[in-house]
Amino acid sequence: MDLVIGIGNPLRGDDGIGPRVVAELGPVPSADAIGVAQLTPELALRLRTADRVLFVDAAVAGEAGTLVRRIRPARGHGLGHAVSPEALLDWTERVFGRAPDAWLLAVPGRLFDVAERLSPEGEKALPEAVEAVQAWLRSAAVESSEEDA
Amino acid sequence: MQREIHIEPVTRIEGHGKISVFLDEKGDVRDAQFHVTELRGFEKFCEGRTLWEMPGLTARICGICPVSHILASAKACDAILAVRIPRTAELLRRLMNLGQFVQSHALSFFYLSAPDFLLGWDADPATRNVVGLVAANPELARKGIRLRAFGQEVIDRLGGKRIHPAWAVPGGVHQPLSAENRAWIVSHLPEAKATILETLALYKKAFASAELRNLLGAFDSMYLGLVTPDGLWEHYTGVLRLVDMKGKAIVPALDPSQYATIIKEASEPWTYLKFPHYEPMGYPEGMYRVGPLGRVNVCDRFGTPMADRELEEFRAGEKKRSGRVFDYHYARLLEMLGAIEQMEVVLADASILSPHVRAEAGINELEGVGVHEAPRGTLIHHYHVDKNGVIEKANFIVSTGHNNLAMNRAVREIAKTYIKKGKVTEGILNRIEGGIRAYDPCLSCSVHAVGHMPLRLDIVEADGRRTTLCQE
Repeated sequence: MDLVIGIGNPLRGDDGIGPRVVAELGPVPSADAIGVAQLTPELALRLRTADRVLFVDAAVAGEAGTLVRRIRPARGHGLGHAVSPEALLDWTERVFGRAPDAWLLAVPGRLFDVAERLSPEGEKALPEAVEAVQAWLRSAAVESSEEDA
Repeated sequence: MQREIHIEPVTRIEGHGKISVFLDEKGDVRDAQFHVTELRGFEKFCEGRTLWEMPGLTARICGICPVSHILASAKACDAILAVRIPRTAELLRRLMNLGQFVQSHALSFFYLSAPDFLLGWDADPATRNVVGLVAANPELARKGIRLRAFGQEVIDRLGGKRIHPAWAVPGGVHQPLSAENRAWIVSHLPEAKATILETLALYKKAFASAELRNLLGAFDSMYLGLVTPDGLWEHYTGVLRLVDMKGKAIVPALDPSQYATIIKEASEPWTYLKFPHYEPMGYPEGMYRVGPLGRVNVCDRFGTPMADRELEEFRAGEKKRSGRVFDYHYARLLEMLGAIEQMEVVLADASILSPHVRAEAGINELEGVGVHEAPRGTLIHHYHVDKNGVIEKANFIVSTGHNNLAMNRAVREIAKTYIKKGKVTEGILNRIEGGIRAYDPCLSCSVHAVGHMPLRLDIVEADGRRTTLCQE
């Protein structure tokens, strides 16, 4: 089973893009999709059984469009207030002996102040981000059918 | 002249803090202060908001213990509505608070503090963290993760989400418990209990000697917490009890809404965190402690069989209540066990699935106080409203505030023991920090600071020279 994790705080403008993307996805039969305010060590319990994981997070400006890139476990600065996807993968690997293959979808945002809605730029980036997640999920289906064949 | 040294280990407290240690001419410790240097001002900007918003609004004080603020706020609002909430609503609020105890204590014990005492105070800072704990005892780490996840799942299944669930409302709770969710929680209780018992056994074996339990110092103080009218451990309702080191009640059973008759808050210019104290004894002599050790010390018994047996063992051979800072960790394990047993009782109640979970009412009182026990200690919300229910004044006294005098005392005691003639090493620094961490302070609650700031230790010598040690 694949896992999609949308990361962010919906009360901080475009920081909430990750959970919003998950909400826009709707039901996905082939994957689990969850929105979280921040990554926490307990998510290792979900990662350990996932085949693949896609983290969806807002990126602070700079990016021209959404970007999916492969990420790998990497030692972070502890498991406090800010756990990175790479550190969570590392933690999962250390605790449970394996971490799933992982990707990060970075969605460009502009406004990270106190706000319950996305900025116009964030809203504009949303459909492309949702499509990127769907494409990532389809790629799993393709890989799976190729393996079956 | 100022010298600055950076050391590596992360702080592992929830929020931000700074410590100053003042040395005398010989380089020995004269005094120590634990500063909280940020201010968010929640009390002020709650003014003008409606009563109905308060549980959701005050939950935003903290991402670690929002459940605690939601429940205290809902209780203060109940008082203003002048309603007695439905029995099932009270049971469900209790259940959520017990879930909060388990997840918060598990976080404090396994993630923040266990690396110190299971890996050793003088272990390499690069490995003295939760990742190092995994390497040393992977099975314990895995069980700790599952235990915390269980507590969070209880909150999630009751409130719909783990952080800031808008579930407890004035008059009760927003939605009842489903049979499916009840079954899920019941089915996971045995594993949670087994993990706690195993960890308790490990902890007691590792810290059997009085010398080890005295690692972070010991001192006398009063203790404050809720108990049932019969003197049993309590976390949601009941009466406030203040005891001395003999366990003798100085204040036997105070109606929590009358807290202001015994507690006053003092201020100091060097910190934003106020100093609540027992007013009849004055400031700072009126120091008391709250939280896990506070509750364990004020109650006569837990009222559940396994926790009672463990409490008896905890007190065996002691002539007085524990004053050991380190025993906060022990008390957390006792409380998690008691919480699991109480969850069993609550979930077995015949009315737990009742759909009647909210009393409807308007503004019937212009003042309300909500007091309950957050994992870190007694939490007080006190509101004044106008006839339309608009907040005119709000006062919050949080557990980290109650413990402020004690944390300063703990830092001073540890600094006196481990800093001699100005000599400071990393292991000593971590003990000082551990003295604070034992209280599991939530500084974002106590002053509502935003973001992440490292702990800073200033050592001020008699001639005014200052050395600053920072933990990033």
